Amino acid sequence: MQPITLALAKGRPAKSTIDLLVKTGIQFHDFHEKSRKLVFYNDDRSIKLIFVKAMDVPTYVEKGAADIGIVGKDNILESKADIYELLDLKIGKCKFAVAGKKEQMPEQNQQLIIATKYPNIAKKHFAKKGQSIEVVKLNGSVELAPLIGLADYIVDIVETGNTLKENGLSVIEDIENISTRLIVNKASFATKSAEVQQLISQLKSALE
Amino acid sequence: MHRDVTEMNRNKNVEDFQMRDELISTLKNRFTTYGYKQVRTSTFEHYDMYSNIIGTVNKDDMIKVIDTTGKVLVLRPDVTIPITRITAANHNSNPFNQRLFYVLDVFRQSVELPNQKESTQAGVEFFGENTPEVDSEVIMLAIHTLEDMGFENFKIEIGHAGFFKELIQQAALSKQELELLQTLIQSKNLAEIELLLENMPIENDLKMAIQSIPMLYGEPASVIQQAEKIVRSDKMQRILHNLIDVYEVLKDYGADDYVVFNLGLINNMNYYTGVIFQGFVDRFGQPVLMGGRYDNLGEQFEAEMPAIGFAFEVDYLLQAIQQQGLAEPDSQTVDIIIYYMKEKQKEALTTAYELRRQNYQVLTFSKESSSMKPLPSRTIVNYDEEQNVLINKDGKHNFSDTKDILSLLKDTKGDL
Repeated sequence: MQPITLALAKGRPAKSTIDLLVKTGIQFHDFHEKSRKLVFYNDDRSIKLIFVKAMDVPTYVEKGAADIGIVGKDNILESKADIYELLDLKIGKCKFAVAGKKEQMPEQNQQLIIATKYPNIAKKHFAKKGQSIEVVKLNGSVELAPLIGLADYIVDIVETGNTLKENGLSVIEDIENISTRLIVNKASFATKSAEVQQLISQLKSALE
Repeated sequence: MHRDVTEMNRNKNVEDFQMRDELISTLKNRFTTYGYKQVRTSTFEHYDMYSNIIGTVNKDDMIKVIDTTGKVLVLRPDVTIPITRITAANHNSNPFNQRLFYVLDVFRQSVELPNQKESTQAGVEFFGENTPEVDSEVIMLAIHTLEDMGFENFKIEIGHAGFFKELIQQAALSKQELELLQTLIQSKNLAEIELLLENMPIENDLKMAIQSIPMLYGEPASVIQQAEKIVRSDKMQRILHNLIDVYEVLKDYGADDYVVFNLGLINNMNYYTGVIFQGFVDRFGQPVLMGGRYDNLGEQFEAEMPAIGFAFEVDYLLQAIQQQGLAEPDSQTVDIIIYYMKEKQKEALTTAYELRRQNYQVLTFSKESSSMKPLPSRTIVNYDEEQNVLINKDGKHNFSDTKDILSLLKDTKGDL
């Protein structure tokens, strides 16, 4: 039988996901945090675990390189991948927010410059409000942008709000809550239905 | 030199085109065996026809052109609508069932996929009747064609356009809420459906019913059993019966292994009225075929004409076939190569003509003037000054004329 391929985001969320899998009785014995290996099998080789960059997990799943993926909602939203999003694992909770120096949003009709790592999410949010924006795509230290006049506001993930506070910024608007989700390739859901559903129900009961 | 890089076209070389052509002829053959006749529609259609029919193609997605009179035309963004229009126009003089198929390019543009403006669809449309037998025959045709292509692990998901519509009518949602809910159901996003419904003034039973829709998925008998628990009107009951009837006929085709029910299936083309379905092959995240029943579309063209159809996305099929290694590598060989000396030119060319008449693939090369290395072939014919020799896998054979060659070829027929 073909193993189910499970794509996990590298880094911090991986650990808590592995813990969750262990709770359901799925063990990856040769896995440890410092390992540089990217592919692991569980004991009965029914699950193949691959580690990829978080932003790539939805792509792997959409294209069928993985049957299932476990990844943050932020990456799912930004990728716009056409997949099933079947389970909220309720870990890695944070939110998308608009942040800036001023407490209030300025009047509408004025074009805003928004710095963000997530252009799609920023565009979608402001389009819904009927606000036209120009996006400056940055890859890190987004908080800097309003301080040096590169942008009016930023759209970013906010966990505790400490980074914002230390840089003199505050949340102006919440966009959407984020947590780790389980996503499934639409073809795998049809053609490997039994295996996929079994894994999901195992995870579900581990969550309760 | 500047290289012209294009991302528009996935099929770049002769072999890719051969593979595509072979796939299309497999599709055509199968469609024909179910009694379908090929048709074509114009590449240009009136913009107004598409913009007047609600719930078809997004206006922004259509590629528009303006003709000399200033009229706005679009490049065919869909085939079902023009075929329905043509069939409707002839319907009163020809009230019989019509089985039609097409292999045509459709054109759409979107901001998300700027490099995918054209795709080839191969589809069928059945006009004139609404019975479970017709529905299942059309679905069987889809299954049969997927088998032809060599896919082993594939599934047809069957749902019904009316089931969700009927249920959601009772909830009185705004247009935006409905759109959001549909998107969430399409991605089976149970967590967010629950959140969305939480704050809506909807009675609890109905909420539970809506929440269960995405998971009404899987083995037909058990899906029906689950679905019966949330039936809230006679119409929903009738819909479930209709699905059971279709499934019963599919069982008699022996096709039940390939079928699952998916009552969370929602098609963005709003013209569907009955059974809807889509097909997935192993490890390919997009449906390779989509279709369903659209009984009211004919009314837009003044004909009462129940209909059902589906279309394969040819480019997706090709990608899936390549991904799964189902395509046989094109052998790049010819049947026969003839080499000749100048003085035997007439003899050699006459032979080539005769062999081609017998449907052999033949290439000829003059030994003196041609410097190109020819393709590999299974049979080589040499017209030398002293002798004529045919070389095949059995060895060398002397021959005197075309008749000898033909009898030698016949002896090794099948593998030349």
